Order: sequence, then C-alpha cells, then structure tokens
Amino acid sequence: MRRPQIVTDERRRRHGGTGWLVALVGAVVLVGAPYLPWAYGDEAMDDMTYLGGPSPTQFLGLALGAALLVCLLAARFLVPRLPAARRRWFAWHTGASAVATGALAFQAVVVVAVALELGGLVNVEYGGWIALAGALLAFAGTRLLVPERTATLGRVHSPGWLVIVVIAVVMLGSLLLIAHALDEDDPGVFIALLVFVGAAVVLVLRVGLGGWFSSQTARFRPVLVMAAFLVAFAFPFTQDGSNANMSIATQVLIFAATALGLNIVVGLAGLLDLGYIAFLGAGAFVAAILSGSAFSAVGWNPPFIVTVLISGVVASVLGLIIGSPTLRVSGDYLAIVTLAFGEIFRLVMINLDGNDGPDLTNGSNGIPNIPDLNLLGFDFGEPHVILGVEIPRFANYYFLLLVLIGLVIVVFANLNRSRIGRGWVAIREDEKAAEAMGVNVFGLKLFAFAGGAFLAGVAGAVKAHHDISVTPDQYVFLESAFLLAAVVLGGMGTILGVLVGATLLRLMPEKLRFFDEYRLLAFGLLLVVMMRFRPEGLIASRRRQLEFHEDDEELAAHTGETPPGAGRVEPEGAR
Amino acid sequence: MDPAYFFQQLVNGLTLGSLFALIAVGYTVVYGIIQLINFAHGEIFMVGAFGALGTWIILGRAEITAWWMLPVMLVGAVGVSVLTALLMERFAYRPLRRAPRLAPLITAIGISVFLQEFVRLFYGPIPNGLQRLVFGDDIPFEFPDAKAAPRFPSIEGVSGGSFVIGGVTLQYAAIFTVVALVLCWIGLYFFVNRTRVGRAMQATAQDPDTARLMGIDVDRIIMVAFAVGAALAAVAGIAHGLQYTNIEFRMGFLAGLKAFTAAVLGGIGNINGAVVGGLVLGLVEVMATAFIPGTFGGSAWKDVWAFALLILVLVFRPQGLLGARVVDRA
Repeated sequence: MRRPQIVTDERRRRHGGTGWLVALVGAVVLVGAPYLPWAYGDEAMDDMTYLGGPSPTQFLGLALGAALLVCLLAARFLVPRLPAARRRWFAWHTGASAVATGALAFQAVVVVAVALELGGLVNVEYGGWIALAGALLAFAGTRLLVPERTATLGRVHSPGWLVIVVIAVVMLGSLLLIAHALDEDDPGVFIALLVFVGAAVVLVLRVGLGGWFSSQTARFRPVLVMAAFLVAFAFPFTQDGSNANMSIATQVLIFAATALGLNIVVGLAGLLDLGYIAFLGAGAFVAAILSGSAFSAVGWNPPFIVTVLISGVVASVLGLIIGSPTLRVSGDYLAIVTLAFGEIFRLVMINLDGNDGPDLTNGSNGIPNIPDLNLLGFDFGEPHVILGVEIPRFANYYFLLLVLIGLVIVVFANLNRSRIGRGWVAIREDEKAAEAMGVNVFGLKLFAFAGGAFLAGVAGAVKAHHDISVTPDQYVFLESAFLLAAVVLGGMGTILGVLVGATLLRLMPEKLRFFDEYRLLAFGLLLVVMMRFRPEGLIASRRRQLEFHEDDEELAAHTGETPPGAGRVEPEGAR
Repeated sequence: MDPAYFFQQLVNGLTLGSLFALIAVGYTVVYGIIQLINFAHGEIFMVGAFGALGTWIILGRAEITAWWMLPVMLVGAVGVSVLTALLMERFAYRPLRRAPRLAPLITAIGISVFLQEFVRLFYGPIPNGLQRLVFGDDIPFEFPDAKAAPRFPSIEGVSGGSFVIGGVTLQYAAIFTVVALVLCWIGLYFFVNRTRVGRAMQATAQDPDTARLMGIDVDRIIMVAFAVGAALAAVAGIAHGLQYTNIEFRMGFLAGLKAFTAAVLGGIGNINGAVVGGLVLGLVEVMATAFIPGTFGGSAWKDVWAFALLILVLVFRPQGLLGARVVDRA
C-alpha cells in the first residue's frame, strides 16, 4: 500500500533552503513565546498568565524550541566545518523534523487543555496562539528538509566511564521524572509532560544518540539493567511514606508482570490468548482460599512460599488444559477457544458458591478479608522505617512485586535467547516449516501456555493479598483485552515495550480521572488505530517490525534483515 | 416426562436458535468471502436493536404501537446496522487486508469495545447525547438511557400476545422471530443464487483473484457481504427486543459469541450451515438448561455449556456439521 506523498524528495531538494529558514523562524518563535502569557486564567494548567515569567510547562515548550534551534543551526553551520568522517555522526535534519512534530503536538495539547480547563478557546491568550503558530511554522518548514540517511554515531567507540556516567544520568533523570510526573495532579500538565518526554525521546533516537546509546550500552548491559532496578528500588524513598502513588505503582507492577507472562504466549510463540486473565484469577483464588480468610472454604493455611507455588502450578495446569487444543486449532480459532475458556473460568468461579455447585469461591461476592502477607516475620500490612524513610503498606508490596517482575524478566530474556525461544519464533513464522525442521511444535506451544500461566498465577497470588479481596468480576474478558492491549501497544515480544505499554495503560486512567467516562471508548479506538498505523507497537522488536511491513524494502535494508517471505532479488552483477 | 413440557422446550429452543441463526449468517457470509472472522459482528446486532428503538422514538412521539411501525423500525434498524458495518469495513478492516492474522482480530476487539461504549455514552438523555448534538437544546424527543437497559417498544399484535396449542404456549414474538428467519433465509437464497451480485459473491468466495480478472469489483462484493450480514443482524436485534422487551448495550458480546459458535457448528462459510447451526445451538442450550439434572443444570450453568460446546466444536469439528469447506486456520 503506497501513501500519496505531498513532499517528494525532488521538492525537498529544491525548497530545502526555504524550509530551513521557515523552521528557524518557527524555532525562534517557540523559544520566545513562553515569555508571553498563554492563558487568561491562572487555574489552567500551572498558571501561564505572566508576561516574562514562564511556568514550568512553558519552559518545556521553550526546551523543545531550543532543541529545534540547536538541530537547525548545527545542520547549517557545524556540519560543514567538521572533518568528513564526523559529518554524518548526527542526523540533524531528521532530529529537527521529529522535535518539530513533538512541539506541534505539545502546543496543541496546551491549547486544548487550556480550552477544556477554562471553558472555551477564548481563554487562550495571544502567547498561546503565537506558540502554536511557531510550532506550525517549524513543522511545515522541517517537512522540506532533506533527511539524512542514517547517523553513524553508533559505530563510534567511546570510553567506558563516559557510557557509565551517561547511564547513571539517564537513570537518575528518569527517577526524578517519574516521581515528578506522579505528583502532577493537573491532567493537562500531565499529558503535556508525557508529550514532552515522548518528543525528547524521539529526538534523541532520531538525531543519532539512540544508536550510540544502544550500541555502547550493549557492552555494559548488566550495568544498565542493575541501574534500572536500582532506580525502581529507590522510587518508594522519594514518596515520603505516602501510600497514594505507591498504590498506583503496585497496580502497574502487577499488570506489567501479567502482561509479560502474556507476552511469552503472544509475543514469542505467536499464540493469541484472549482468556489470559483467567490464570491471574486462578492464582488469586488459590491464594485467597489458602490465605486463612474467614470466608475461605478450605481451612489449610500454608506458608506463602507454598501458596505461591500451588498458585503457579494450578494456573499452569489450567494453561496446559487451555493449551491442549493448540494441537488441533490455531490462529483465530485458538483465540476464540481461549476466550471461551476465560469466560468458563469466570462463570465457574461465580457458580461455585455452594448453591449452584460445590462451595469453594463464595460465588460472586468472592473472598474478602484476606490477611496481609507475613514473610519471615516481615509484616506487609505495617509501615516500616528504612534509612529514616517510612515505607508504607503498598511500598512493601511494591518491593515484593519488583522482585517478582525481575524474576519474570530473567525468565523471559533467557527463554527468548534459548533454543526454546528460537523454536517459538520458528513456529510463529511458519509452523509447518518448523515442524519439518524437527521443532517439537506441540510441546513448545504447551510450554508457552504453561510457562506464561505459571507467571500469571504467581502474580495472582501476590495480587490476592495486595487487593485484600478476590471476586470473579475482576477477571472479565475486558481485562484480558487490556493485557493484550498492553502487549500490543508496547511492542510484541519486547520486555521494555510491554513495561511501557502496561505503565501507560494503568497510569493514564489514574491520572486522567476527568476522562474516566470515556476511558473504554478511547481504549477501543486506540486498539483500532494502533493496528492500522503501528501494529508492531511503540517499541518494536526488529523482527516483528519486518513481519508487519513485509513489502517495505527500505525498512528491510535499514535494519539489515530480509523481510520474511520476501524473495531475495540479487542484483544483476552479483551472479 | 410431560410431552407438553418437552414440546415447549422445543419451541423455545427453535426460537432462540432462530435468533442465533440470523446473527450467524453475518459471520459466515463475511468469512466465506475474505476469511475474516468479524468478531465485532455481535455489536452490529446490538446497534440494530438500538437503531430500531431510536427510529420508533423519533417517529413515534405519540407512542404509536400499530403494526405498521414494525416495518418502519426495520428500515431504521437495518439502516443503522448496515451503515455501522460499512464504516467498520472501510476504515478498520480494509486497510488490514494483507496484514498478519493477529491484526484484524485485535482490531475487532477494539471495534467491539468502541461500539459498546459509544452506545453507552451517547445514547440517552445525557447532555452530550446524540440527539442533542443534532438538535441543540431544543430537542423534540429524548432517547432512553442506554445504561439502564431501556424498554423496547411493544407493537400491537406482536409483543406480549400468545396462544396455546395442546399445552404449548406460542408467543407472537417467537413466531415473528422464526418467520423472520425463514423469510430472510429464502430471500438470501434468491439473492445469492439468482442475482448478478449474488453470483459475483459466490465467485469471489471461490477465488477472489480470478473473480477480479473476470471484472468483479471485489471491494464492492466485500461491502455487500458486510451489509447483508448487518441487515440480518438488525432483524435479529428487533426480534430480540420484541421477545425480551428490554435491550442492553452489552448484549452483543454474548449473542455474538454464541452466533459465532453456531456459524462454526454449521460449517463457517456455508449459509445453510449457519442456519442449521443456529437452530442446533439454540436447541442444545434450551434442552441443557431444562434437562440436565442436579447442581450443574439450570440457567446458572447454561453459558458454561454453550462455551464448552464452542470449544468442543472448534477443536474436534472445525469444519462444522455440514462440513462445507476444509478449514485451515494457520
């Protein structure tokens, strides 16, 4: 499918100079506009009514403008002075396009947010319109720039200390950013901040630093991963003993852990599971029944370690049962079989109330009053003081979940790189060919289901204690759809992508309360739009990207792999 | 066992089955042509029911209950359903025609959630309801709130009434459903076999590439398939409303899933199969509810048995009862 191109390469070559000038004007306006008032009322976002005194949000706009200015000036004045070998280190024009797009989105969000929060576009003062106009100019101008093919900075070898310092700075920055973003109560500012972060990340990636970062940190992968975990562990200490953000954070972690488990089934093995929430539910119900709650039908109350294992095993047995039809069905039919299993699970949990069936789950009321965890004398229900900082109840669960998610990531990464993981990829791409090559197709599929289910069961066991009560209506089809959306949104088959997807999907509803009513509407639309325009997700694995864009030869050349199914065309002279 | 009780269940089963069959045809027609499981088809059925209710409210400010409202409502329902289905095909499915199989399925889930929420949010007397967007504050009529399972209009001579033959109660609404199915089935038979468009549909189903070479506009045929399915789903929506008196924005999910079971049961891609499958599924569900003894019987478990049947059919007989085509769903 070819899209009509408004800006052709030919036009770019002819009007590149004009485009640069227009974009420069836009960038200067973007830098200057934050010193003007953007809104008539101080309730909108973070008080943008002053002349000459930008608010924090206005500073973000200024930063985008400044970044654009740097890109444009560097492309015109710095690059020609560099020795030839270094001229293509950075892709300044590509970066300029990216940041101009980001600035336009940012200014649009600001204008819309002001209009919504104060009631009408009339409340946007002249500075806001000027900034939007500047962003439009910058956007239009950068469309005419000739983009560089690739940035070569990734091939440059840098000293180790530099890389480690950069890792430390990035991690520290993200910790501060997360803590700051979670404290932000104004929905407009929150979305503007998200857009700003998105624009900054895309700019860094496009301009060539992304290539450098990924190639350099490949040498220091353990350092990177350890730093990320350190940041995650440090997060509760920034919260001053407050439970509010920790409660959101634990929900995100439970969701992310489950989504990572689903990612094994969907992302690696390519088996669409629409009933995955049932495994989380199975784990939660087992833990609730064995928790010693007064409403549990079973008196036995084993230590939590045992409960977790039983939860995982029960879930993976269910996984085996649900996975067994994969011997005979695949594709859409498998998805519907799993959906039916998920619904059966929920209905059975409702019916096992002693009235319509044996008493096990207390029916649709579920099992309330599940006691808090107590591991080795550490009571999860009580606040603790560590290093002078109070660690409240949810923070205790947060640490436990972090350990759990670390475990899931280790399992996932190792499976992905192992013989099993390669078998899954082979099955996903061509089941018959994989079988012919001696891949144990059925065994590996079952293993994917059982393994993914085990992880979800373990997460469910923690969730039961975290939530205090377990009811069947927490495990409806829509939750499975949410999990699937987290995997799809973030990027199938990647760890980082799913973490990002899960965070966005759980964090957004918490922060955008005014949007609550339209949450599901937007969610449905998001799925459709993602599949239409970026089916490989926000953070795509290269292989997936190629699978979804089979006829895009430019992309294949870019990533250095041949798209699956595309015939190799040898150049004439090569034979 | 009381024979009247058995026959009563038989009638109930056939009625329910007719409803399933009407929806199932939509799955089958679309699948037959582009091998796509239009998972959001259940929502088309729901939209049709709400479309009928909306038509009645717009035209029937004086609460008209005469029989001639029925065909008017039918036109409204079919219009809304077909429009929804065509928009869905054009903007969501068509761009994905060459994408991996996962993509349309996820899109379908998205559409499903979107349509349910759309009806829930915008159908009703709320400030941002659809009618207010069109007429402003001076609205001549008010839609009932979709969140509260609004009552479907009762039509004289169809709703509520019934007669008894030999101990078996026949409700007029049930007769309407069965008659609607029979008429639609006959109409569809003539449409598919006797019209140019119908024959073009058959050709496209057999081999889309050759059909294109023969001068058939395949895109148009696909739209026709979506439209035919949507029209029948709209009829089912009205039948559902007349029978159960209340309609709900969530009702498309379960009905769609069961109708899909029916379509697979009859052999997906096969129109007659969809009808037979629907009737069989309706009978099985009603009979299981009525005759399975002990704690696992009764209405609490009927959906469990329907889903179990769905799994068994998909696993052991994916080609369906009539086995029209061999299905290889890789």
